[in-house]
Amino acid sequence: MIAFRTLIPAVLVLALAGCATLPPSPKSTTALTVLGSSADLHAKARACQELGFYGGPEAVPALAALLDKEYLADYARSGLEGIKDAAAGDALRRALPGLSGRYLSGVVNSLGVRRDVAAVPALQVLALDSKRGVADEAVASLGMIATRDAAQTLQQVLTGGSAELKTAAAHASLVAATTLTQAGQRDAARELLAAVIRATPVGALRKVAESQAAALQ
Amino acid sequence: MKFTRRHFLKTAAVAVGLPTFIPASALGRDGTVAPSNRIVLGAIGIGPRGREDLKAFLGQPDVQFVMIADVQETRREVVRVMVNRQYNNQDCLKTRDMYEVLGRPDIDAVLIATGDRWHALASMIAAKAGKDIYCEKPCSMTIRESQELADTINRYGRVFQAGTQRRNVDNFKFAAGLARSGKLGKIHTVHAGILTLQESHLWLPAEPEPTRDVVDWDRWLGPAPWRPFNKDYINGRWRGYFDFHGGAALPEWGAHTVDLCQWAASADGTTPVEFEAEGQTIHSRYANGVKLTMRLSGFKGEGNWVVPGTCPVRFEGDEGWVEAADTGKVAVSSPKLLEGGAPNPMAGTDPTKHVRDFLDCVKSRAKPAANADVTRRGHIVSHAASIGWRLGRKVQFDPVTESFVNDAEANRMCSRARRASWHA
Repeated sequence: MIAFRTLIPAVLVLALAGCATLPPSPKSTTALTVLGSSADLHAKARACQELGFYGGPEAVPALAALLDKEYLADYARSGLEGIKDAAAGDALRRALPGLSGRYLSGVVNSLGVRRDVAAVPALQVLALDSKRGVADEAVASLGMIATRDAAQTLQQVLTGGSAELKTAAAHASLVAATTLTQAGQRDAARELLAAVIRATPVGALRKVAESQAAALQ
Repeated sequence: MKFTRRHFLKTAAVAVGLPTFIPASALGRDGTVAPSNRIVLGAIGIGPRGREDLKAFLGQPDVQFVMIADVQETRREVVRVMVNRQYNNQDCLKTRDMYEVLGRPDIDAVLIATGDRWHALASMIAAKAGKDIYCEKPCSMTIRESQELADTINRYGRVFQAGTQRRNVDNFKFAAGLARSGKLGKIHTVHAGILTLQESHLWLPAEPEPTRDVVDWDRWLGPAPWRPFNKDYINGRWRGYFDFHGGAALPEWGAHTVDLCQWAASADGTTPVEFEAEGQTIHSRYANGVKLTMRLSGFKGEGNWVVPGTCPVRFEGDEGWVEAADTGKVAVSSPKLLEGGAPNPMAGTDPTKHVRDFLDCVKSRAKPAANADVTRRGHIVSHAASIGWRLGRKVQFDPVTESFVNDAEANRMCSRARRASWHA
C-alpha cells in the first residue's frame, strides 16, 4: 500500500497547478458553448473573436478544430493569436502538417505574429520547401520571430533561394535585424544585413539595408 | 543601371518612336513643370473623400497622375474620366490590382484612400515597393498596426503623410500655435471632438456577389475577416462595424482632433498615461499632468463647443483658451490673442495645403506635418482610449512600451489577426 506521505509531493504539484490556472472567464464559456452548438456561421465567427479577447487554454481545442474550415479558419486564428497561453502556439504548430494553401499560409503568419520561437524549426522547413507553397510567408514569419536560428535560415535563403524568395527574405531580414539589434544582438543583425547587401542588386532595397547596416556601426 | 524616371521616359520614347515635335509644355518652357521634375502619382482605392484629395493633387503643376487601382469598376472609371479630363488626353490607366500600380517603377508616390481596414497594410506594401505615401485616415485599425506602420515607413525611408489635413489648415494651425507658443500660459487641458463611440458586430444580409471585374469583394475585404457581400458596405456604409472601423469609431475624428491636441500640448512624442471613459466622454492624462478630454461633437451639435463645425478642438492654458473647428473660425478668450490678425477662414476638410506639404517633402525628403511618427502616437492615443471605453474602466498606459500597464485584458485588444494571404 502506498503511504500517504509519498503522495504529498504529487498532491502539492496538482494543487499548485490548479492555483496557477485561472478558471475560464464567463465570456469564454459562453463563446465555447456557441462553438459547440449548431449556431450559424456569424455567431461562430463572433465567438472566435471573443475568445481572442477573453479565452484561455480551455478555448484552444475548439479553435484549433476550425483552422481548416472555410470562412471560420481566419476567425479561429484571430482567437488563437489572442490567447497568450503556450497551448495556442502548440496547436498552431501541430496544425502545420495537415494544412495547405491559404489555411497553411494563415497559420504560418499567426506563428510569426506570436513570435513563436518553438515554431522556428518547422518554419525553416517550410521556407526551404517550394512545394508547400508558403515559403515567402514562412520567411516573413522567421523575420518576425528574429532569433539567431531564424536569421540563419534567412541568410540561407538569401544565398540560395529563388530571386522572388530572396526579395521576401531581404524584407524579412530588415525586420529581423531591427529586432536583433533591440535585443542587443548587433553582430547577428550586422551579419544578416551583410547577407542582404550581398544578395540584392543595386537599388532601393539594398540601399535600405546599407543604411540600416551603417546605423549599426 | 539605376532605373530613373528620366530613364523610363527615355526608353519609353525609344519604344514608341520619338515624336518629331516636342511640345514646349513637355519641356517645361511654357510655365509647366518638365516631366523629369514631376512627381508621378498613382492611387489605390478612391471613393468620395479620395476624389477630394485627388482634386488637390491634380491641381498641383508638378504632379502627373497615371494610374488608379480600385476594386470597384465604377470608382475606377470615375477616376479615369476625371484624370483624363484634367489632362485632356486618354492616358490614365485603371486596374483592380494595386500591385500593378506599386510595380510600376515610374510611379513615385501613391494616394491611398481605401477604407480603414486597408490603410496601414496598403501603406506598408507601398513603402516596401519604394513609394512615398499620402494615406487617408484613420491610418490603422489597432495599436499594433500603428506601430507597424511607422516602423515600416521609417525602415524604408519613405515620405508619409497621413490625411489629417487639419495640421495644415490655417485656423487649426493658428490655435495650436497659440498653445505651443505659451500665449495661453501653461497648457492644462486640451479637448478633442469625437463621434459617437460604437462597435457593431452585425452582418448585413448576404446578397449575390458581383463578378470580380465589377466588385472584387475578396480584395475589398483584404485583411479584414470574411463576411458575405452586401452592397451597403461597398457604398460607404462599412463604418461602425468592428471589423472595418477601428477603435469603436473614435479614430474617425480622433485621427484629426486627438492629433491636434497632441500637437498643441507639445506631446507629439508621447501619449497619455491614463484613460477613463464616462459615457461617451473619455478623460485622459499625460505624465506631466495635462488633461486630454475626448468628447462628443459634430453633426448633432452635441457638446458645449463655442465654435460651430465638425472636428472641434479646444486648448486651455492658465492664461487663456482657444477653440477651432471646421468652419475655419477660431474663438479666443481675449481679443489680444488675435493681434496680428485672425487666420484665414478655410474649410477644415480642404486638403490642398496638406497635399502641397507632402509633395514638397517628396522632393526635399523632409518629414511632412502628419508624418509617420506623429501619426503613430496620435492613432495610438485614439485606440487606447477606445479600449478603455470598451472595457468600461480606467486603464493605465505606458508611453514608452506603448502598452497597457499590468493589464493583460487591455493588451489583448491591441492587435487583430489579418486574413490569410493579406499580410504585409
